[in-house]
Amino acid sequence: MYTQFFGNYLLSNGYVTRDELFSAMQRQADQHLKLGTLAIHAGYMTASQVDDTVIHQTHQDRKFGELAVELGYLTDEQVSSLLKQQIPAFLSLGQVLLNDGVLTNSDFEQIIQDYRKKNGMDNEENLIEQQDIINTLFENFFSGSNTTLSHNGHMFVELLFNNLVRFIGSDFTPIEASEVTEAPIACCVEQDVHGEYAINAYISMDKKTAIKFASRYVHEEFQDYDEYVQASLEDFINLQNGLFIVNISNDSNTELTLGAPEQKTKSPLSFENRTLHFPILYTFGNIDFYIECVKIQ
Amino acid sequence: MHIEDITILITDDSILARKQLKDIISSLGTPNFIEAKDGQDAIDKYKEFKPDLAFLDIVMPKKDGNDAIREIMQFDPDATIIIASSVGTQSQLKSALQAGARDFIQKPLDKEQVLGVIKHFLEGR
Repeated sequence: MYTQFFGNYLLSNGYVTRDELFSAMQRQADQHLKLGTLAIHAGYMTASQVDDTVIHQTHQDRKFGELAVELGYLTDEQVSSLLKQQIPAFLSLGQVLLNDGVLTNSDFEQIIQDYRKKNGMDNEENLIEQQDIINTLFENFFSGSNTTLSHNGHMFVELLFNNLVRFIGSDFTPIEASEVTEAPIACCVEQDVHGEYAINAYISMDKKTAIKFASRYVHEEFQDYDEYVQASLEDFINLQNGLFIVNISNDSNTELTLGAPEQKTKSPLSFENRTLHFPILYTFGNIDFYIECVKIQ
Repeated sequence: MHIEDITILITDDSILARKQLKDIISSLGTPNFIEAKDGQDAIDKYKEFKPDLAFLDIVMPKKDGNDAIREIMQFDPDATIIIASSVGTQSQLKSALQAGARDFIQKPLDKEQVLGVIKHFLEGR
């Protein structure tokens, strides 16, 4: 979950524009990480030391690691440790932005320090996704969005992000949530969750995105917006809500029920109750989730 | 008994869920598949085709899975009904089993679990 929130962190703090982030996300999977980037992330080198080593590299055809050792910035042990370590996925995103010139090494050094500090990732266990760090990431994500969420709402969104990673892919960035009263839609499915606690959950996207979403969800290549693509959206929201009410049942012994998923065609959607919009920026398009709070405990 | 000799009713309002279940079962062979898209449709198809095995979702329009199970069990007390649903709460499981379901499979479907249910059914025949 670090990578997704890292993208959001860069965006919400104004380090990148949405277009720059989207472009970098599309290329991050193929990204080769540079040793200097890894050294900054590990805290072995400062940005100015990396810049200095790169300048030396332009004068002589030698490897970055060799030069950094010769300049006294790294030890041989640190180089071999950097080459062996497991790479956190969010660094790939940072590397693309460095290569694009959107960020400088100094920016990157500062961002990494701030991001890790803010999310309690100060020690080297940061490569393991510990639950307390995940919790902090979520808290910071919501605190930046100026929207308040109930405990159940929090559970819903955390489950949603996990389901997106599990069933669609990890190449997304959640954009900050906001309250809305209406929403333009193209391909949209709604499902209500009712009982002591009640919400209406919506998934919405354009047709092109829906075709790609369905192809990933079903593991089949769809070419057209057909009934299987439509059913994929229904199936995903049904799965999300089904697992959500199982979690609610386990968490608070509250038994909720689901309505059948329903296609929505009338645009814009108008919401009668307080509604939160969760935009998700995927490399293949934008997906919008809306949670309409009908009855909150 | 071989899978080719049986009729399986698959009930889900999602065409995708029906396809996924059929694809998994078809890896064992080709039974006669009957499809229904809601609880009432399942009752009607059950009465018409008398399938050997029936898979039902719970959350469906018109009539939900548990209501459909009760009506099917009234018609055929020996019906073998398996619930395949994303709503796997303890109370939901309990009401499905009380209504007469033999087993409960939580979505997303696990291929091995589905095939295990089919094999178990075929061995018992």
